[in-house]
Amino acid sequence: MKASADINTESPDPAQDSSRGGLVCRECGYEHTTVSLAPGDRALCVRCNSVLVKKSWFGHDATLAFTITGLLLILPSILLPFVTVSKLGNEHTSLLFTGVRVLWGDGLHLLAVWVLVCGGLAPIFLLLCLSGLLMPQRFGWKPIEAPRLLWTSRAVAQWALPEVQVLAVLVALAKLGHVVQVKMGAGFWCYAALAVTTTLAWRDFELNFQLEQPNQRNS
Amino acid sequence: MNISPPAFREQNLSQASALALAAAIMLVPANFLPVLYTQNAGKIRTDTIFSGIVGLCQEGWWGLGVIVFIASILIPLIKIAGLAWLLIAAQRGPNEDAHRLTRLYVVLNFIGRWSMLDVFLVAFLSGVVQFGLFAKAEPRIGIAAFAAAVVLTVMATEAFDPRVLWERPVTTTPPLHPCHESSR
Repeated sequence: MKASADINTESPDPAQDSSRGGLVCRECGYEHTTVSLAPGDRALCVRCNSVLVKKSWFGHDATLAFTITGLLLILPSILLPFVTVSKLGNEHTSLLFTGVRVLWGDGLHLLAVWVLVCGGLAPIFLLLCLSGLLMPQRFGWKPIEAPRLLWTSRAVAQWALPEVQVLAVLVALAKLGHVVQVKMGAGFWCYAALAVTTTLAWRDFELNFQLEQPNQRNS
Repeated sequence: MNISPPAFREQNLSQASALALAAAIMLVPANFLPVLYTQNAGKIRTDTIFSGIVGLCQEGWWGLGVIVFIASILIPLIKIAGLAWLLIAAQRGPNEDAHRLTRLYVVLNFIGRWSMLDVFLVAFLSGVVQFGLFAKAEPRIGIAAFAAAVVLTVMATEAFDPRVLWERPVTTTPPLHPCHESSR
Protein backbone atom coordinates (compact mmCIF):
# COMPACT_ATOMS: atom_id res chain seq x y z
CA MET A 1 0.00 0.00 0.00
CA LYS A 2 2.21 2.81 -1.26
CA ALA A 3 1.43 6.48 -1.42
CA SER A 4 3.31 9.24 -3.14
CA ALA A 5 4.24 12.65 -1.83
CA ASP A 6 4.81 15.92 -3.58
CA ILE A 7 6.98 18.62 -2.16
CA ASN A 8 5.63 22.11 -2.26
CA THR A 9 6.54 25.38 -0.67
CA GLU A 10 5.54 25.94 2.89
CA SER A 11 2.88 28.57 3.42
CA PRO A 12 3.26 30.98 6.31
CA ASP A 13 -0.50 31.02 6.67
CA PRO A 14 -1.87 27.73 8.07
CA ALA A 15 -5.31 28.44 6.61
CA GLN A 16 -3.88 28.28 3.09
CA ASP A 17 -2.59 24.79 3.55
CA SER A 18 -5.93 23.13 4.15
CA SER A 19 -7.45 24.87 1.14
CA ARG A 20 -5.02 23.14 -1.25
CA GLY A 21 -6.46 19.75 -0.43
CA GLY A 22 -3.23 17.77 0.13
CA LEU A 23 -2.06 16.17 3.34
CA VAL A 24 -0.25 18.91 5.19
CA CYS A 25 1.69 17.98 8.29
CA ARG A 26 0.30 20.08 11.12
CA GLU A 27 3.59 20.01 12.98
CA CYS A 28 6.19 20.88 10.34
CA GLY A 29 4.11 22.14 7.39
CA TYR A 30 5.41 19.56 4.92
CA GLU A 31 2.90 18.84 2.18
CA HIS A 32 2.10 15.42 0.73
CA THR A 33 -0.38 14.02 -1.75
CA THR A 34 -3.34 11.98 -0.49
CA VAL A 35 -2.88 8.37 0.61
CA SER A 36 -4.81 5.13 0.55
CA LEU A 37 -4.62 3.02 3.71
CA ALA A 38 -6.03 -0.18 5.20
CA PRO A 39 -7.99 0.01 8.51
CA GLY A 40 -5.63 0.66 11.42
CA ASP A 41 -2.75 1.82 9.18
CA ARG A 42 -1.08 5.18 9.61
CA ALA A 43 0.75 7.51 7.23
CA LEU A 44 3.59 9.46 8.78
CA CYS A 45 5.18 12.72 7.70
CA VAL A 46 8.40 12.08 5.76
CA ARG A 47 10.11 14.93 7.54
CA CYS A 48 9.07 15.01 11.21
CA ASN A 49 7.49 11.55 11.56
CA SER A 50 4.20 12.93 12.95
CA VAL A 51 0.99 11.04 12.15
CA LEU A 52 -0.63 12.57 9.05
CA VAL A 53 -3.65 10.29 8.81
CA LYS A 54 -4.83 7.11 10.47
CA LYS A 55 -7.44 4.90 8.90
CA SER A 56 -10.11 4.07 11.47
CA TRP A 57 -10.46 0.50 12.73
CA PHE A 58 -14.20 0.94 12.89
CA GLY A 59 -14.94 1.69 9.23
CA HIS A 60 -16.32 4.67 7.33
CA ASP A 61 -19.44 5.34 9.34
CA ALA A 62 -17.98 4.97 12.84
CA THR A 63 -17.31 8.70 13.33
CA LEU A 64 -20.88 9.56 12.39
CA ALA A 65 -22.19 6.79 14.66
CA PHE A 66 -20.16 8.15 17.62
CA THR A 67 -21.35 11.67 16.80
CA ILE A 68 -25.05 10.75 16.68
CA THR A 69 -24.74 8.71 19.89
CA GLY A 70 -23.13 11.72 21.57
CA LEU A 71 -25.90 14.02 20.37
CA LEU A 72 -28.56 11.64 21.73
CA LEU A 73 -26.84 11.64 25.13
CA ILE A 74 -26.85 15.43 25.54
CA LEU A 75 -30.38 15.90 26.89
CA PRO A 76 -30.32 13.03 29.41
CA SER A 77 -26.92 14.25 30.65
CA ILE A 78 -28.31 17.71 31.32
CA LEU A 79 -31.78 16.82 32.62
CA LEU A 80 -31.32 13.61 34.63
CA PRO A 81 -29.96 13.65 38.22
CA PHE A 82 -26.17 13.77 38.16
CA VAL A 83 -25.29 12.89 41.74
CA THR A 84 -27.33 12.55 44.93
CA VAL A 85 -25.54 13.12 48.23
CA SER A 86 -27.01 12.70 51.70
CA LYS A 87 -25.86 13.55 55.22
CA LEU A 88 -27.74 13.17 58.50
CA GLY A 89 -31.01 12.53 56.69
CA ASN A 90 -30.67 15.53 54.37
CA GLU A 91 -30.59 14.66 50.68
CA HIS A 92 -29.35 16.89 47.89
CA THR A 93 -29.61 16.03 44.21
CA SER A 94 -27.51 17.99 41.74
CA LEU A 95 -27.60 18.24 37.97
CA LEU A 96 -24.69 18.55 35.54
CA PHE A 97 -24.62 22.34 35.72
CA THR A 98 -25.51 22.86 39.40
CA GLY A 99 -21.86 23.74 40.08
CA VAL A 100 -21.98 26.38 37.33
CA ARG A 101 -25.04 27.96 39.03
CA VAL A 102 -23.21 28.04 42.37
CA LEU A 103 -20.09 29.60 40.82
CA TRP A 104 -22.30 32.24 39.20
CA GLY A 105 -24.12 32.84 42.48
CA ASP A 106 -20.80 33.33 44.28
CA GLY A 107 -19.87 36.12 41.87
CA LEU A 108 -17.34 34.10 39.83
CA HIS A 109 -19.22 34.83 36.60
CA LEU A 110 -16.39 34.38 34.10
CA LEU A 111 -15.36 31.12 35.71
CA ALA A 112 -18.96 29.87 35.67
CA VAL A 113 -19.21 30.65 31.95
CA TRP A 114 -15.88 28.95 31.30
CA VAL A 115 -16.88 25.74 33.12
CA LEU A 116 -20.15 25.79 31.18
CA VAL A 117 -18.25 26.21 27.91
CA CYS A 118 -15.61 23.51 28.51
CA GLY A 119 -17.92 20.99 30.16
CA GLY A 120 -21.08 21.50 28.12
CA LEU A 121 -21.29 23.99 25.26
CA ALA A 122 -18.01 23.13 23.50
CA PRO A 123 -18.64 19.34 23.36
CA ILE A 124 -22.20 19.95 22.12
CA PHE A 125 -21.03 22.45 19.51
CA LEU A 126 -18.25 20.07 18.42
CA LEU A 127 -20.74 17.22 17.94
CA LEU A 128 -23.05 19.54 15.95
CA CYS A 129 -20.14 20.63 13.73
CA LEU A 130 -19.09 17.01 13.15
CA SER A 131 -22.62 16.01 12.21
CA GLY A 132 -22.77 19.03 9.86
CA LEU A 133 -19.60 17.78 8.15
CA LEU A 134 -20.29 14.05 8.14
CA MET A 135 -23.99 13.82 7.34
CA PRO A 136 -23.80 15.49 3.91
CA GLN A 137 -20.87 13.20 3.09
CA ARG A 138 -22.68 10.07 4.23
CA PHE A 139 -26.06 10.78 2.66
CA GLY A 140 -24.83 12.58 -0.47
CA TRP A 141 -26.30 15.95 0.51
CA LYS A 142 -24.78 19.22 -0.62
CA PRO A 143 -22.12 20.22 1.96
CA ILE A 144 -22.87 23.41 3.84
CA GLU A 145 -19.88 25.64 4.63
CA ALA A 146 -17.59 22.59 5.03
CA PRO A 147 -14.26 24.52 5.31
CA ARG A 148 -15.75 26.87 7.91
CA LEU A 149 -17.23 23.94 9.87
CA LEU A 150 -13.89 22.14 9.75
CA TRP A 151 -12.05 25.21 11.03
CA THR A 152 -14.68 25.72 13.77
CA SER A 153 -14.47 22.06 14.83
CA ARG A 154 -10.70 22.31 15.25
CA ALA A 155 -11.03 25.55 17.21
CA VAL A 156 -13.76 24.18 19.49
CA ALA A 157 -12.20 20.73 20.02
CA GLN A 158 -9.37 22.01 22.22
CA TRP A 159 -11.91 23.48 24.67
CA ALA A 160 -14.25 20.50 24.74
CA LEU A 161 -13.17 18.80 27.97
CA PRO A 162 -15.92 16.39 29.07
CA GLU A 163 -13.39 13.63 29.84
CA VAL A 164 -11.52 15.98 32.20
CA GLN A 165 -14.78 16.83 33.96
CA VAL A 166 -15.59 13.12 34.38
CA LEU A 167 -12.17 12.52 35.97
CA ALA A 168 -12.69 15.55 38.25
CA VAL A 169 -16.07 14.19 39.38
CA LEU A 170 -14.54 10.77 40.13
CA VAL A 171 -11.75 12.39 42.18
CA ALA A 172 -14.31 14.52 44.05
CA LEU A 173 -16.57 11.55 44.74
CA ALA A 174 -13.71 9.52 46.17
CA LYS A 175 -12.86 12.47 48.43
CA LEU A 176 -16.52 12.96 49.42
CA GLY A 177 -17.08 9.31 50.19
CA HIS A 178 -16.26 9.61 53.91
CA VAL A 179 -18.01 12.97 54.41
CA VAL A 180 -21.39 12.23 52.83
CA GLN A 181 -23.21 9.31 51.25
CA VAL A 182 -23.01 9.46 47.48
CA LYS A 183 -25.29 7.95 44.85
CA MET A 184 -24.47 8.34 41.18
CA GLY A 185 -27.40 9.35 39.01
CA ALA A 186 -28.31 8.39 35.45
CA GLY A 187 -27.19 11.86 34.33
CA PHE A 188 -23.61 11.08 35.36
CA TRP A 189 -23.50 7.82 33.40
CA CYS A 190 -24.99 9.52 30.34
CA TYR A 191 -22.41 12.31 30.64
CA ALA A 192 -19.56 9.80 31.01
CA ALA A 193 -20.81 8.03 27.86
CA LEU A 194 -21.07 11.42 26.13
CA ALA A 195 -17.42 12.10 27.07
CA VAL A 196 -16.33 8.75 25.61
CA THR A 197 -18.30 9.14 22.36
CA THR A 198 -17.17 12.75 21.87
CA THR A 199 -13.53 11.76 22.37
CA LEU A 200 -13.83 8.79 20.02
CA ALA A 201 -15.70 10.82 17.38
CA TRP A 202 -13.12 13.59 17.41
CA ARG A 203 -10.10 11.27 17.41
CA ASP A 204 -11.57 9.24 14.57
CA PHE A 205 -12.50 12.35 12.64
CA GLU A 206 -9.29 14.31 13.18
CA LEU A 207 -7.00 11.73 11.63
CA ASN A 208 -9.46 10.45 9.06
CA PHE A 209 -11.30 13.31 7.51
CA GLN A 210 -8.64 14.05 4.92
CA LEU A 211 -9.14 10.51 3.61
CA GLU A 212 -12.87 10.74 3.60
CA GLN A 213 -13.49 13.37 0.96
CA PRO A 214 -16.22 12.12 -1.42
CA ASN A 215 -13.88 11.79 -4.43
CA GLN A 216 -11.46 9.60 -2.41
CA ARG A 217 -14.05 7.64 -0.49
CA ASN A 218 -13.55 4.45 -2.48
CA SER A 219 -9.80 4.75 -2.96
CA MET B 1 -3.83 37.78 3.74
CA ASN B 2 -0.32 36.67 2.72
CA ILE B 3 2.53 37.56 5.01
CA SER B 4 6.20 36.85 4.51
CA PRO B 5 7.73 33.93 6.47
CA PRO B 6 10.00 36.16 8.63
CA ALA B 7 7.06 38.42 9.55
CA PHE B 8 4.93 35.34 10.23
CA ARG B 9 7.64 33.90 12.48
CA GLU B 10 8.00 37.16 14.39
CA GLN B 11 4.24 37.60 14.85
CA ASN B 12 3.81 33.97 15.88
CA LEU B 13 6.60 34.09 18.45
CA SER B 14 5.54 37.42 19.97
CA GLN B 15 1.95 36.24 20.43
CA ALA B 16 3.01 32.95 21.99
CA SER B 17 5.59 34.70 24.23
CA ALA B 18 3.05 37.26 25.48
CA LEU B 19 0.52 34.54 26.32
CA ALA B 20 3.12 32.32 28.01
CA LEU B 21 4.36 35.26 30.10
CA ALA B 22 0.79 36.14 31.12
CA ALA B 23 0.20 32.49 32.08
CA ALA B 24 3.38 32.42 34.20
CA ILE B 25 2.25 35.59 36.01
CA MET B 26 -1.24 34.19 36.65
CA LEU B 27 0.24 31.03 38.17
CA VAL B 28 1.48 33.09 41.15
CA PRO B 29 -1.99 34.13 42.51
CA ALA B 30 -3.35 30.77 41.36
CA ASN B 31 -0.98 28.97 43.71
CA PHE B 32 -1.03 31.39 46.65
CA LEU B 33 -4.69 32.41 46.87
CA PRO B 34 -7.28 30.03 48.38
CA VAL B 35 -9.29 28.00 45.85
CA LEU B 36 -11.83 26.22 48.09
CA TYR B 37 -13.57 26.82 51.42
CA THR B 38 -15.01 23.72 53.10
CA GLN B 39 -16.97 23.22 56.28
CA ASN B 40 -17.71 19.78 57.67
CA ALA B 41 -19.16 19.10 61.14
CA GLY B 42 -17.83 22.37 62.49
CA LYS B 43 -14.37 21.88 60.98
CA ILE B 44 -13.50 24.73 58.64
CA ARG B 45 -10.74 24.64 55.99
CA THR B 46 -9.64 27.15 53.40
CA ASP B 47 -7.35 25.43 50.89
CA THR B 48 -4.91 26.57 48.28
CA ILE B 49 -4.12 24.11 45.49
CA PHE B 50 -1.08 22.78 47.34
CA SER B 51 -2.71 22.53 50.79
CA GLY B 52 -5.65 20.70 49.15
CA ILE B 53 -3.21 18.11 47.80
CA VAL B 54 -1.51 17.80 51.20
CA GLY B 55 -4.98 17.37 52.77
CA LEU B 56 -5.79 14.54 50.35
CA CYS B 57 -2.53 12.76 51.20
CA GLN B 58 -3.04 13.25 54.98
CA GLU B 59 -6.46 11.64 54.69
CA GLY B 60 -4.82 8.65 53.02
CA TRP B 61 -5.89 9.46 49.44
CA TRP B 62 -2.36 9.24 48.03
CA GLY B 63 -3.48 8.23 44.54
CA LEU B 64 -5.87 11.16 44.26
CA GLY B 65 -3.26 13.50 45.70
CA VAL B 66 -0.81 12.42 43.01
CA ILE B 67 -3.43 12.88 40.24
CA VAL B 68 -4.30 16.41 41.43
CA PHE B 69 -0.60 17.25 41.95
CA ILE B 70 0.23 16.19 38.39
CA ALA B 71 -2.76 17.98 36.85
CA SER B 72 -2.66 21.18 38.90
CA ILE B 73 0.98 21.83 39.73
CA LEU B 74 3.27 19.70 37.57
CA ILE B 75 1.53 20.12 34.19
CA PRO B 76 1.25 23.96 34.34
CA LEU B 77 4.92 24.21 35.35
CA ILE B 78 6.04 21.77 32.64
CA LYS B 79 3.98 23.71 30.10
CA ILE B 80 5.51 27.06 31.03
CA ALA B 81 9.07 25.63 31.07
CA GLY B 82 8.48 23.73 27.80
CA LEU B 83 7.02 26.78 26.08
CA ALA B 84 9.95 28.90 27.23
CA TRP B 85 12.36 26.32 25.77
CA LEU B 86 10.46 26.20 22.47
CA LEU B 87 10.27 29.98 22.19
CA ILE B 88 13.98 30.46 22.92
CA ALA B 89 14.89 27.73 20.40
CA ALA B 90 12.55 29.19 17.77
CA GLN B 91 14.13 32.66 18.08
CA ARG B 92 17.18 31.23 16.33
CA GLY B 93 15.12 30.21 13.30
CA PRO B 94 15.00 26.75 11.69
CA ASN B 95 16.53 24.41 14.20
CA GLU B 96 18.68 21.28 13.85
CA ASP B 97 16.94 19.94 16.95
CA ALA B 98 13.52 20.45 15.30
CA HIS B 99 12.56 16.77 15.60
CA ARG B 100 12.87 16.70 19.38
CA LEU B 101 11.32 20.16 19.81
CA THR B 102 8.33 19.21 17.67
CA ARG B 103 7.77 16.14 19.83
CA LEU B 104 7.94 18.36 22.92
CA TYR B 105 5.31 20.64 21.35
CA VAL B 106 2.98 17.68 20.68
CA VAL B 107 3.31 16.53 24.31
CA LEU B 108 2.67 20.05 25.67
CA ASN B 109 -0.38 20.35 23.42
CA PHE B 110 -1.78 17.07 24.72
CA ILE B 111 -1.23 17.50 28.46
CA GLY B 112 -2.52 21.07 28.77
CA ARG B 113 -6.24 20.22 28.87
CA TRP B 114 -5.84 18.01 31.98
CA SER B 115 -4.97 21.04 34.12
CA MET B 116 -8.66 22.01 34.05
CA LEU B 117 -9.24 19.11 36.45
CA ASP B 118 -8.99 21.29 39.56
CA VAL B 119 -11.41 23.87 38.14
CA PHE B 120 -14.04 21.20 37.45
CA LEU B 121 -13.34 19.65 40.86
CA VAL B 122 -14.06 22.90 42.71
CA ALA B 123 -17.15 23.61 40.58
CA PHE B 124 -18.52 20.12 41.26
CA LEU B 125 -17.83 20.16 45.03
CA SER B 126 -19.41 23.62 45.32
CA GLY B 127 -22.55 22.37 43.59
CA VAL B 128 -22.86 19.10 45.49
CA VAL B 129 -21.86 19.86 49.08
CA GLN B 130 -24.67 22.18 50.17
CA PHE B 131 -25.86 21.10 53.62
CA GLY B 132 -25.88 24.46 55.38
CA LEU B 133 -24.13 24.23 58.75
CA PHE B 134 -23.43 20.49 58.48
CA ALA B 135 -21.28 20.52 55.37
CA LYS B 136 -20.58 23.15 52.76
CA ALA B 137 -18.09 23.82 49.95
CA GLU B 138 -17.58 27.21 48.30
CA PRO B 139 -15.21 28.37 45.57
CA ARG B 140 -12.63 31.05 46.32
CA ILE B 141 -10.97 33.58 44.00
CA GLY B 142 -7.76 31.53 43.53
CA ILE B 143 -9.60 29.06 41.33
CA ALA B 144 -10.46 31.87 38.87
CA ALA B 145 -6.77 32.81 38.69
CA PHE B 146 -5.87 29.16 38.16
CA ALA B 147 -8.45 28.78 35.36
CA ALA B 148 -7.06 31.92 33.72
CA ALA B 149 -3.52 30.49 33.92
CA VAL B 150 -4.66 27.21 32.34
CA VAL B 151 -6.51 29.00 29.53
CA LEU B 152 -3.49 31.21 28.84
CA THR B 153 -1.10 28.23 28.66
CA VAL B 154 -3.42 26.45 26.22
CA MET B 155 -3.70 29.63 24.12
CA ALA B 156 0.09 30.08 24.18
CA THR B 157 0.62 26.52 22.94
CA GLU B 158 -1.97 27.07 20.22
CA ALA B 159 -0.39 30.38 19.21
CA PHE B 160 3.01 28.74 18.79
CA ASP B 161 3.36 27.23 15.34
CA PRO B 162 5.99 24.44 15.38
CA ARG B 163 6.60 24.97 11.66
CA VAL B 164 8.85 27.91 12.58
CA LEU B 165 11.35 25.31 13.84
CA TRP B 166 11.72 23.75 10.39
CA GLU B 167 13.47 24.75 7.19
CA ARG B 168 11.14 25.57 4.30
CA PRO B 169 11.07 22.57 1.89
CA VAL B 170 13.03 22.86 -1.34
CA THR B 171 10.74 22.87 -4.39
CA THR B 172 13.19 21.25 -6.82
CA THR B 173 13.67 18.02 -4.84
CA PRO B 174 12.07 14.97 -6.54
CA PRO B 175 8.89 13.51 -4.94
CA LEU B 176 9.28 11.22 -1.92
CA HIS B 177 7.12 8.47 -0.42
CA PRO B 178 5.68 9.16 3.03
CA CYS B 179 6.33 6.59 5.73
CA HIS B 180 3.60 4.00 5.86
CA GLU B 181 3.07 2.17 9.13
CA SER B 182 0.99 -0.96 8.84
CA SER B 183 -1.04 -2.28 11.76
CA ARG B 184 -0.32 -5.87 10.73
